[in-house]
Amino acid sequence: MNLFSLQWKETFRAPQWEAKMSIKIIMTLVTIYFLGSFLFGASVVYPILNQKILDREPLEVFNSIVLYFFFVELIIRFFLQQLPVTNIQSLILLPFKKQKIIHHVLLKSIFSGFNLWPFIIYLPFAISMVKDDYLGSAVLAWWTSLLLVTLSINFINYIINKNNFFFVLLLLALAGVIALDGYNYFDLGAWVGKAFDKVVKEPVLFWAFLIPLIGCYSLVFRYLKKGFYLDAGLTKKKKSVQGGDFKALNFLGNNALFLKNDLRMIIRNIRPRQTVLMSFLFLFYGLIFFSQDIYSDQAYVLVFASLFVTGGFTMTFGNYVPAWDSSCYKLLMTQNLAYKDYLLSKWNLMVFVTAVLTILSLPYVYFGWNILALILAGALFNMGLSTWITLLGGLMNKSPMKLNVKAKAFENTQAFSLNQFLMIIPKLIVPVLLYAVPAALISPVAGYFSLGGGGVLGIIFKNQLADWTTKLYIKQKHETIEAFNK
Amino acid sequence: MIQATQISKVYNGITVLSVDHLTISKAEHFGLVGNNGAGKTTLFSLLLDLIQPTTGAVTNHGVNVAASESWKKTTAAFIDDNFLIDYLTPEEYFEFVAQLRKTSKEALAAFLAPFSDFFNDEILNQKKYIRDFSKGNQKKIGLVAAFIGDPSMVILDEPFANLDPSSQFKLKTFLANETNKERTLVISSHDLNHVTDVCNRIVLLEKGEIIRDIPKTPKTLKELEAYFSGQ
Repeated sequence: MNLFSLQWKETFRAPQWEAKMSIKIIMTLVTIYFLGSFLFGASVVYPILNQKILDREPLEVFNSIVLYFFFVELIIRFFLQQLPVTNIQSLILLPFKKQKIIHHVLLKSIFSGFNLWPFIIYLPFAISMVKDDYLGSAVLAWWTSLLLVTLSINFINYIINKNNFFFVLLLLALAGVIALDGYNYFDLGAWVGKAFDKVVKEPVLFWAFLIPLIGCYSLVFRYLKKGFYLDAGLTKKKKSVQGGDFKALNFLGNNALFLKNDLRMIIRNIRPRQTVLMSFLFLFYGLIFFSQDIYSDQAYVLVFASLFVTGGFTMTFGNYVPAWDSSCYKLLMTQNLAYKDYLLSKWNLMVFVTAVLTILSLPYVYFGWNILALILAGALFNMGLSTWITLLGGLMNKSPMKLNVKAKAFENTQAFSLNQFLMIIPKLIVPVLLYAVPAALISPVAGYFSLGGGGVLGIIFKNQLADWTTKLYIKQKHETIEAFNK
Repeated sequence: MIQATQISKVYNGITVLSVDHLTISKAEHFGLVGNNGAGKTTLFSLLLDLIQPTTGAVTNHGVNVAASESWKKTTAAFIDDNFLIDYLTPEEYFEFVAQLRKTSKEALAAFLAPFSDFFNDEILNQKKYIRDFSKGNQKKIGLVAAFIGDPSMVILDEPFANLDPSSQFKLKTFLANETNKERTLVISSHDLNHVTDVCNRIVLLEKGEIIRDIPKTPKTLKELEAYFSGQ
C-alpha cells in the first residue's frame, strides 16, 4: 500500500500536472482527437473487410495479420515506452521486501498508456463482431486473449530494452517471418491467426494465452531479481565510449568543433538517437501518398509528402535546437564562441542529413519522374528554408531536454506553445504556395523550380539568415538560460 | 577589472541582491562568503551575464557584459553542472574548451600535466563519459577546464564542495600559489578556512547586501567565525 501511495504522489506531483491550464486543455483535446480517430479507424475496419473480401470472414482476415500488429506494437514500445525500473533505487534500502518491490515495479508497468492498445485497436473490432452475431462469450475470449498477448509484450519489452541484441533479434525475426511468407514457404501469420480462430470457436482456450504471459512475467522477474543491486540492472548501464574523433571533419574549421559534438551527442544519448531513427521512418511517408491514385492530382498533398520524405531530420532535430544543449547551455553562453558558428554547425548537420535522405529517396522515381522532381525540389526547400524556420521554432521550445531518457508520448506538454504551433504555417503552407501558384499559372515544372528555388535562395543567403537568427537567439538568451536551469 | 554599479536583482518582488558598488581589481583573489540564499550565485551569474540585473550594470574591462561579448575571451568560470558537457569524455571536453580558447593540443597537454596529482589517476584515460564520473571528479574536471587558455579572470562557485579532503588541500595549494600572478580569482565558499587561505580580500554577503568587505589579515578567520556562529 505504501508503494502505491508513493506512486500516487509521483504521478500527481509531476511537473506535467503543474503545466498551465490552457496547455492541459489543448493536450486533452489532442489526446481525445487521436483516441477518437484510432477508435473510428478501428471500428470501420470490420465493415470494410466485410464488404470487400467476400470469400473470407473478416475475423479470419484480421487474425491472419494480427501477428504483425504484435510486431508493430513491440517496436513502438521499444522506441517510446519508458520503463519504470530506475525509480527503485531510492527504495532499495527501505524496509520493503525485494520481491515486493519487483512485483510493484512490474505491476506498475501494466498501468502504462501503451497497454490501452487492445482497447483502442481490438475493442472496436470486437464490438463490430458482436453486432455481426458472434457469440458474446466467443468475442470476449478472443479479445481477452489479445489483451493477454499485449501484456506479454509489455514484459517482453523489458528484456528487449535492456539489450540491443534482442532488438536486432526481433527485427531479424520480423524480416524472417515476412520473407518466409513472401516466398510462400511458411506463413507464420496464418498460423497465429488460426490459433485465434480456434479461440473464437472454443472460448475456453483463451486460458492458454496465460502461459506466455506468466512465462514472460517470471522471466523478467528473475532478470530483475538477479540485478537487484545498485551496480547491476537497475541503474542505467555505463557504456564504454562510442564515437571517435571524426578527424575527417576537421576541414570544416570552427564548424567542425560543434559538428563533432553534435555527432557525439546523437551517438551517445538515447533521445537524439531516437530522433534520428524516427527521421528515417519519415522516408517511407511517401509510400502512403505516392502509391494512391486519388492523391495524384491533389498538389498540396504531394508537396506535403515530398517535404516529409526528406525533411524528417530537419523537423525533428531542428525543433529542439538549442534544447539539445540545455544541459551545458551556461557553458556555451560564457565560452569564447561565436553564436553564429554554433547555429551554422546545426544548420550544416541538418543539410547534410537532408542530403543523405534525399539520396535514399531516389527510388521514388518508381512513381514517376514528376514525383522525383517534386522530392528534389522539396529537399532543396528543406535544406535552404525549413532549416532556418525550424531553428526559429526551436528557440521557442523552452524546456530542458533530458538527453539520456526516452521521449514519452505527449511528454512535451510544456514545450507546446501557440508560437510553435504557428511555426507550422511557414513550414508547410509556404512550400505549398511556392509550388501550387506557379504550377497552376504556368506549369508543374515552374512549380518545381519555384519550390526548389526558394531553397536555393536560402542556401545562397545563409550568412544573412544566420546573422538574423543569431540576433534573435541572443535576444532570448537570458530567458532561455533561466528556462533550461529548471 | 570588474565594476558593478547599483546592481540589484528582484525575483517576484523579493530583492535577492542589492549592491551599490563593487570593484574587483586585477590580480585580486576575491573571496565571497555568506549563508545559503545570501546571493552569492546570483552575483556570479550577473558577472557572467547569465541573468539580467533588475537595475544597474556590470562592466568587465570597461565593457558592459550584457552589451558586448568581448569579455568572454578573458574570463572563464565554473559555476555548476551546466558548465560540463556530460556526454563527452574528460579529454574531449578539455579539447573542446581548448579549441574555443585558442589553445593548441600541445599547449593543452602541457597545461594538464601538472594536474596529474590533483586528478589522482581517476580522470584521464578512463574511457568514461563525464556523466558517469562521481560528483567530486566532475568538479575537478570543470575546475581545471576553467583555467585552460590562461584566462585573466576565473570565477568559481563553491570550488571546494564535493571534493575529498586531499583534493581540497591540493586545490587550495594550487589556487593560493597561482602560477599566473596577474590572474584575478573570484571564488565563493562555505569553508571559511579555505577561503581565507586562498583569498586576499573577503566580502561577506547577507540577504543580498554586502555587510563586510575586508582585506585578509591574520584576524580575518576569527572575525568570520564569530559572525557565522552568531556572536
